[in-house]
Amino acid sequence: MPDDHAVDEPRGPDDRALDERRAPDDRVTEERPAPDEHAADQRRQRLADAQRGLLAALVAGGPLPDGFDPVRLRIEAAGLIAKRRGLVARSAPDLVIRLGPRFAALFTEYAERRPKPPGGSLGDAKAFADWLGLPLNPPPAGRWARFLRRRPIS
Amino acid sequence: MNPSPERLGVGIGWRAELDLTVERLPGVDFVEVIAENIRPSALPESLRVLRSRGTPVIPHGVSLGIGGAEPPDHRRLAHLAACAQALASPLVSEHLAFVRAGDLEAGHLLPVPRTREALSVIVQNVRQAQESLPVPLALENVAALFGWPEDELTEAEFLRELVERTGVGLLIDVANLYTSQVNLGLDARAALDTLPLEELAYVHVAGGYARDGVWHDTHTTVIPPDVLDLLAELSARAEPPGVLLEWDADYPSDAVLTAELDRIRAASHAR
Repeated sequence: MPDDHAVDEPRGPDDRALDERRAPDDRVTEERPAPDEHAADQRRQRLADAQRGLLAALVAGGPLPDGFDPVRLRIEAAGLIAKRRGLVARSAPDLVIRLGPRFAALFTEYAERRPKPPGGSLGDAKAFADWLGLPLNPPPAGRWARFLRRRPIS
Repeated sequence: MNPSPERLGVGIGWRAELDLTVERLPGVDFVEVIAENIRPSALPESLRVLRSRGTPVIPHGVSLGIGGAEPPDHRRLAHLAACAQALASPLVSEHLAFVRAGDLEAGHLLPVPRTREALSVIVQNVRQAQESLPVPLALENVAALFGWPEDELTEAEFLRELVERTGVGLLIDVANLYTSQVNLGLDARAALDTLPLEELAYVHVAGGYARDGVWHDTHTTVIPPDVLDLLAELSARAEPPGVLLEWDADYPSDAVLTAELDRIRAASHAR
């Protein structure tokens, strides 16, 4: 599995919709004449289609795009689920405790054809809890947890 | 926006789980913090302690997806900028990767198609990010498990072109070079030959393990000798301004981390 950082949503509301409302002209530097802007938009569109197709195969059960190594993509897809599972376990330790040894298999079953919902890993944990039909208890309060961490151990 | 090659020294990735450790470890010249894990208006106490001692803190973003088809998200850029300002950081870093496409989130750093066409899109993305940031930006090579069938350039060639066209700095992760060597057969030393080391901002190094012939770059073990050799090889070509240890889970004792920082210091001074 590559680099294991917690790729997660930044705090605050998701503003992707806002960004998509911006005019395409905002997105290219002004030095280029209009025909090049059109070409630049087309290049963006082709890149968007290619990345969307690959990501759909990796996280949403979409068809495998031509030319990729299927074994590698299966390893990558499994790695993405393992990473989501780790982040969900950290966001909702309560679920891990309640599910015990069934946590990993159940999460994999949930995640295999369901891309990560909005709301970061807590959103993923809530969606997993909904799928299980279990209410999700809130995680321990951040301030208290931080205070405890800063106490000397002995 | 060319990063001035600021002397950073040897550092470690600050994690909430390691906060007291990082404060008391000897020989920590600088740290990096995952930008998405902090709020600039309410910095963790430990980072404030480090800043009060003059230890540089570099915000390291993992969710910008500058290699994506969408222009970089202005809210994510604003967050990186606010982190840099709150921490008085010398630079910020991110990855040459895409992390989402349309409505789908990968939740992880995925390699971009390394075509000339994708390069021209990503050059625009990088320029926009640079315009929004108050400090220089450095981009990191990622650990990939697969390549795109249409790839025309190696990752090193792609990064070289990106650096030449945008002046973006380089964060070279030698563990990621090693991962790509094991998993994709890409020669890490050839990559070092190609990468514009004169634009090196700093270096990442980390441990991992092999399973079934695949290298897993987990950041959970001591640095393997092969990865340390790559650091020495890089350092023999260009003295890195900084080298940072990434350790992300299964945290070891302070003594182990101190020994790792010593190994890094020795390898990166190798001539």
